[in-house]
Amino acid sequence: MSGGVGESVRRPDGPAKVRGEFCYAGDLTAEGMLIGATLRSPHPHARITRIDTRAARALPGVLAVLTADDVPGDLHFGLTLRDEPVLADGVVRYAGEPVAVVAAVDAATARRATQAIEVGYEPLPAVTDPELARDGTPLHPDGNVYRHVSYGCGDPDARGVVTVENTYRIGMQDPAFLAPEAGLAQPTADGGVQLEVATQWLHSDQKQIGWATGLPPEKVHVQLGGVGGAFGGREDVTLQVHACLLALATGRPVKMEYTREESFLAHRQRHPGTIWLRHSADADGKLISVEGRVLLDGGAYASTSPVVITNTVTLLQGPYRVDNGRFEGWSVRTNNPSCGAMRGFGVPQAAFAHEAQLDALAAALGLEPLEIRLRNALQRGDVATYGQRFDAPTPVREVIEGLQAIPLPEGIPRKAPGGVGRSAEGGEIRRGIGYAVTIKNLAFSEGHVDESTAEVSLCDGHATVHTACAEVGQGFVTVAEQVARTVLGASTVEVTQPDTLIASAGSTSASRQTMASGTAVHRACLAVRDRLLDRVARAHGLDAAELTVADGVVCAAGKPLTTVAEAAPGQIFRATEHFQHPDTYALGSPEARMYVGYGFSAQRAVVDVDVELGLVSVVQVASCQDVGAVINPTQLLGQIEGGIVQGMGLALMEAVVVRDGLITNPDFQDYLIPTIVDAPEVVSTYVTDPQPGMPHGWKGVGEPPLCTAVPVVAAAVRAATGLPLPSVPIKPEHIALGLGTAPTVSWTTPRPADPARAAQVVVDEEPRDALGTMAEEGAAPARH
Amino acid sequence: MSDQDEFVTFSLTVDGTPREVTARWSESLLTVLRDRLGVRGPKTGCAHGRCGACAVRADLGDGDPHVLCSCLVPAATAAGGSVQTIASIGGPDGELSDVQEAFLAEGAVQCGICTAGFVTAATELLETNPEPTRTEIEEALYGNLCRCTGYGRIVAAVETAARTRREQKSPVPLTTRELAASLRTGPEEAR
Repeated sequence: MSGGVGESVRRPDGPAKVRGEFCYAGDLTAEGMLIGATLRSPHPHARITRIDTRAARALPGVLAVLTADDVPGDLHFGLTLRDEPVLADGVVRYAGEPVAVVAAVDAATARRATQAIEVGYEPLPAVTDPELARDGTPLHPDGNVYRHVSYGCGDPDARGVVTVENTYRIGMQDPAFLAPEAGLAQPTADGGVQLEVATQWLHSDQKQIGWATGLPPEKVHVQLGGVGGAFGGREDVTLQVHACLLALATGRPVKMEYTREESFLAHRQRHPGTIWLRHSADADGKLISVEGRVLLDGGAYASTSPVVITNTVTLLQGPYRVDNGRFEGWSVRTNNPSCGAMRGFGVPQAAFAHEAQLDALAAALGLEPLEIRLRNALQRGDVATYGQRFDAPTPVREVIEGLQAIPLPEGIPRKAPGGVGRSAEGGEIRRGIGYAVTIKNLAFSEGHVDESTAEVSLCDGHATVHTACAEVGQGFVTVAEQVARTVLGASTVEVTQPDTLIASAGSTSASRQTMASGTAVHRACLAVRDRLLDRVARAHGLDAAELTVADGVVCAAGKPLTTVAEAAPGQIFRATEHFQHPDTYALGSPEARMYVGYGFSAQRAVVDVDVELGLVSVVQVASCQDVGAVINPTQLLGQIEGGIVQGMGLALMEAVVVRDGLITNPDFQDYLIPTIVDAPEVVSTYVTDPQPGMPHGWKGVGEPPLCTAVPVVAAAVRAATGLPLPSVPIKPEHIALGLGTAPTVSWTTPRPADPARAAQVVVDEEPRDALGTMAEEGAAPARH
Repeated sequence: MSDQDEFVTFSLTVDGTPREVTARWSESLLTVLRDRLGVRGPKTGCAHGRCGACAVRADLGDGDPHVLCSCLVPAATAAGGSVQTIASIGGPDGELSDVQEAFLAEGAVQCGICTAGFVTAATELLETNPEPTRTEIEEALYGNLCRCTGYGRIVAAVETAARTRREQKSPVPLTTRELAASLRTGPEEAR
């Protein structure tokens, strides 16, 4: 069947996108539409002494001015802790926090109205150092520690002959999706509200809108507006609740669309962090023990900080077998911008640190970088430091060997380091080659239910697929179409716009939607197919068990009987099916199952570095990734290339610069994302070891390439320069001035693991109820 | 009322249609196109000339149409001029142009918010330079940001469109099958 699973099927939304006709959330309009605007705090921490909205309300063309006092329902929202006010509640805790929202007849009037609101602030000390915040005066009634995790396994004090330790720093990365936040809210006839919005998670938005408006879920209807990129940055609520409150207050449609600067201020960033690691290995390079400590700056409100921290801490071991270790981490509240989900969800930070350590060990022992990785590669049956057995294919060795088979680039470099940033003649250019291997958990973790539901109908060969899975650019619409063609033999497929009329699909994040919504679609297609075959069997007096569908044809005992399109004229076959991964449990639970599954990735980067100007050109990144199965080769390559370039951005140029709680570069003039000149050649190969329990053996692929690209680019620049470079992004001055501390290498007397302490995971953590939408998705809150 | 709020009325041609506009004089061409004229092909990515999502091909009265960021052009400077947005790009009979076709075939589109800008810039490139090198493609497109694709498929799409166009003009026509194969592998391998 043309257009099925395994082919490079084109995106169904592609023609509209290349014509410029695809409707994004920012393109939405409605009759009588008002424009919403937001007044934000200029202070990272202040007490609000008064808010006077009279002048703003008096302006002609202004129809609503709302503050915290005007929120009819629960003022607080959030994905985990519900600690964030919809509008500032007496205190502002970050620069950019929404204080008031207005609706007016046009954008200029709305903007003028926000300027006419008088707010009295009494500035308070801004706590912007996460280490001071952790132990300091609470900035919020819920305290400053979002989560503290601490556990050990085996004998953490075991030592080999060599021990290396260093402290690594990761900067704050902005998702920088290219379409700023936008949505259109409209009051509905039943007193409810309807919102079309660019989001990653419709049902989470629906719940949080319900909390603030006091409306029951059936009166809050959320539909996906066209999404211009997401990368985690649309998982939290930004303007969703504000737009709905304004629509309800005015009785008119209200459109909100952020500027680029507001987008930087309003959405959550990738957590910046500090990671200390100590690795000890024997003379052969085999890891004897690993110890690690992580401090992530979660910013002003919780978002997903309590979940991100366990990803970082538990995956400090990397894709390597570690029998002995102790690990601890905190995600903490500060007066910096709030951090939350971004592609990789805590793992790029861990990967950057553990891969630098592996290279330091290899250098100390005189081993090749890939050799030390092969000697420690996880295998199926191994047990993670947090007690979970790797009970599915664990092809770490295979991705490394796949990488080794990719030839190095040949020929003269086409361009000098620095791309468009090169403004001077430089000096000596040195080439470097680096390697990195990573592990990324796939799907929701630690008891957060990972599920989706699909409704599929078939009539005369035309299939309709309905889910609540947000298409954000990743290509789920193509995958859903491919599944319907393969399973049902559908000749045409329509994937309808996601909405809250069907059960939750969870978030488009965690590399999870092919696994969750794709599997729900697969199951619904199987059910529809069986109903069709039952009908055909009855009509022909055959046994349905003998009927199959192949290439759009119904076959009886392998012989063509009729086409799917003509099998039952005018009849509609319909099925709704649900999929849920097996349960997961909090870190330290006796079930020892935190994660649904994993993806592994190995990369090699080749860079040219101008050592005097400090400029880097990434010539090539070669990748071998564990992908389960190849569903759509072109879309898969797009995920690999896109992830690598986004990771390269974090490694070399992307940093939200925050001084005293203020973002100094909230624009694309000063926050640099890679351009076409910066992008390397990418060579991509795959290991296809099917994931058990998944149709076609598929698994998530979106995050691993980014997680690996960060350490691999750093490793190549280290190889070119000989510098330790323990921080990303690696800035020109780090190279030109040689900034950064090298790992401490000590030669030690071996101290074998005490067998009495072996193979037990001991967790030291205060259990805490999760209260936000992630908990309400049906999960048992993370508990012991 | 500040100077910025003073309105001006002017005419310009958008996608071949003469339009009359009344706008605040400070408004950008992008705002006029999107909010006053309902022309939604050009997108708002940054509104400060860094992302290229708003790219249009415009003749601002000097008879030299070229691709620019419509967010950086005060709308009134386009008075009497002519603007071609993505809506002006297409093949005969409403089909896709070869550049648009190649963007789909090569997977150069993910979220698509940058796509209109890239197609606009790539179309101009191939009109002026039918055989661009990789470096020339980069020089023509570095004003356009893409956050999804990592650019690899976009470069491939431009190369494919250029190759397809050359082959259509070549004396020995390709068979349909060869043409289809060349979209994937290049003409030498396809033959």
